Amino acid sequence: MSVFKASIHSPWRQEFNNLVRGISGGFLFGIPLLYTMEVWWIGSSVEPLRLLIAIALTFTIVLLLNQTTGFRNASDIRFRDAVIDSIEAIALGIFCTSCVLVLFQEITLDTPLGEALGKLIYESVPFALGVALSNQLLRDESEEKQQPKENKKQTDRNKQIDGIVADIGATLIGGIIIAFSIAPTDEVPMLAASTSGPWLLGLVFASLLISYAIVFAANFSNQSKRQQQKGMFQDPFSETVISYLVSLITAALMLWFFDKLNLSDPWSIWLRYTLILGLPTTVGGAAGRLAV
Amino acid sequence: MNPMNMNTHTEATQGDGKVGRSPAEWVTFGIAATILSTVIGLVLYVWLGQQRQPPILSVTHEETIREVDGQFYVPFILKNKGGETVESVRVIAELETNHGIKEQSEQEIDFLSGEETQEGAFIFSKNPNNGKLNLRVTSYKLP
Repeated sequence: MSVFKASIHSPWRQEFNNLVRGISGGFLFGIPLLYTMEVWWIGSSVEPLRLLIAIALTFTIVLLLNQTTGFRNASDIRFRDAVIDSIEAIALGIFCTSCVLVLFQEITLDTPLGEALGKLIYESVPFALGVALSNQLLRDESEEKQQPKENKKQTDRNKQIDGIVADIGATLIGGIIIAFSIAPTDEVPMLAASTSGPWLLGLVFASLLISYAIVFAANFSNQSKRQQQKGMFQDPFSETVISYLVSLITAALMLWFFDKLNLSDPWSIWLRYTLILGLPTTVGGAAGRLAV
Repeated sequence: MNPMNMNTHTEATQGDGKVGRSPAEWVTFGIAATILSTVIGLVLYVWLGQQRQPPILSVTHEETIREVDGQFYVPFILKNKGGETVESVRVIAELETNHGIKEQSEQEIDFLSGEETQEGAFIFSKNPNNGKLNLRVTSYKLP
């Protein structure tokens, strides 16, 4: 790890940033499909030949995307680089989906190999597309440096309060947009039924990590601006924690809105459902804060 | 940082045309290529090793029967020994006690892929130990 911190401009650090950017884009694009049980089922019943075709098709699309955009910072991309980047995008997709599917216990040691592969490959398709689109979804700061937004003069105090309100608002909106499509579905109770204590803790940790990664760890848009601002929302760790709490409240309210949770339900059900919906909500919230 | 890395980095970013990839990028590529080829290799392995067998379903019940509040819980294990995936597998348990009382319990399993097992339980109000218990799979459909 010390290698990454050695220098902001070291190639290792830069590569690390590129990867985090790719992973973040993948999560933004791929998380709704990770919460779709039909995709798990398709993955488990499909023939191996179809799986290979799926990989080939994904590779082709990602390759086309990588020739124009991609997850690295480069304006002019040669064909060979695009091919290499595409392989990396798919591998990143496979890696991240397998982490989440293991966390959801959709893939366990008891899962037959063919089924695990099917789930993994089908779920990683949108993920790989997200990785390839991550430069579009999360544009680099250098392009936005000149934005007039930054130049507005305000008193420090007003700026602070505005900043906090804006961040909470953005977290809410982003969270609602992503979680709206997941809250009314049956996946939340289904996943809640199959998880237990340690896995829920893992989910909390993963939510915080992904949320942190999306906004801060990589060299994303607005990042330097965000770190210059003062206020409790601007310290990376407290921002991540506060926005996670905001996301959890949003998730709980949405579950209640869609009648998935009732006031008469025991608190443990509330906790499980909320934590499970909390992951996509916090990913959406992080994206929302980026957009502000 | 070693000076060679810095050079490659400058090369790679200053031109922005990606003259060369930094060692870091090659490491990423190495890992990525390994992951992807492993996955493709495993798919091929599954494909070639696949027995084109139709579903073979079996259901067995475990010996440990739990009694709680006058109800008897009989755990069962459903296994698909064949290669194909099946949907909507119905399992029926029939109990005929020594006094001639019949009870039936039914269960539908949504999804069972090849080599997969699912567990569940049938619940009776009479003790299955004092009678004849018969478990069988009645139907399934292909996805």
